[in-house]
Amino acid sequence: MIVSTPLTPAVFAILLSLAGGDRHGYAMMKDARAPEGGGIAMGPGTLYGTLERLMRDRLVVETDTSDNERRRYYRLTDAGRLALETELSRMDSAVAAARQRGLLPQGGRS
Amino acid sequence: MTQPSPRSSMRIEGAYQFAICLYPVQFRESYESAMLQSLRDALGDPTLPRHTFLRTLLKDLIQSLIKENLAMLRETVSRPVLVYNALVLIALFSALTLGFVIIEQNSLRQSANDPQLGMATDLASRLARGTSASASVPNDQTDMDASLSAFVIAYDEQGQVLASSAQLNGAVPQLPRGVLDFVRRNGEERVTWAPRRDVRIASVVRHVSGARGGFVLAGRNLREIESRKDLVLEQAALVWLGLLGILFVGTFFFGWLTRAPSPATT
Repeated sequence: MIVSTPLTPAVFAILLSLAGGDRHGYAMMKDARAPEGGGIAMGPGTLYGTLERLMRDRLVVETDTSDNERRRYYRLTDAGRLALETELSRMDSAVAAARQRGLLPQGGRS
Repeated sequence: MTQPSPRSSMRIEGAYQFAICLYPVQFRESYESAMLQSLRDALGDPTLPRHTFLRTLLKDLIQSLIKENLAMLRETVSRPVLVYNALVLIALFSALTLGFVIIEQNSLRQSANDPQLGMATDLASRLARGTSASASVPNDQTDMDASLSAFVIAYDEQGQVLASSAQLNGAVPQLPRGVLDFVRRNGEERVTWAPRRDVRIASVVRHVSGARGGFVLAGRNLREIESRKDLVLEQAALVWLGLLGILFVGTFFFGWLTRAPSPATT
């Protein structure tokens, strides 16, 4: 399916977290909170609401994995990975343009 | 970092479990235990400052409650078939209500002519038989504005008043010439006559046959009938609003019952 960009911060953070492998709810919240994961302070309501919409759009699926009957794990689908890559590419272009305009140091960490 | 007491964690979990009840049923049924587990994981995470997390949790709760309930509302009623059906029913209810109002108000207005029809016919017959207008028309002077009683007026062929059982502002008002011309051609006219801006009379005007000719008018004030017409309109408007309310609730309920199931999981 075609996903419009830019993604919302919560969607981006969840997809980025799941790009590192299957994750359960709190692991995604923790990843999202880290600066490299998007720096999003997300609670369970936003997390599961966003996950529901991502599953409906088939960007994420729930796995059978469980280390606890209440802890549910989620996985990125190919479409989800593509959406994430598209978003990263869009961000990369924006960062490159910002560098060209001197807003960011050349060759520096964005 | 100081670890919070288990009792404090249980209190937070209890409060959160209560707050989860405010989410839409389908969402709650799907994610309640997972959300509580995420909360437990967060409360048990020694690297996460408690006050920071509680602030995030409260903000998240408010935002996601609004978002999920609005999404539920949108998903429930925003299906084209459901909206189309609701619009068709609204149009149907509106047409039925409007039809009822028109028929009922027209029926009330027609019923306002009832005594005058007989009175005008009788008076025209008497005058046609040669009885004088002053002998045929009662002497009592009804106030056209204040009274709801029926009255009669006799006119000659030129439209001049011969006798009247009613007055308005101390005089007998003149009928519009057009009405008399119409009655001369057609024999009878049933018309709402406004001898003054705020006085409306349900009038039946008949032509008097015979050599002398002339016209008779039987009328009565429409105030009571018009107040009944207003009542019909008010009641119909209330019924219409009630039907719209039932339709809205019914559409929402039907939409809720027939919502798409949650996404499949693997």
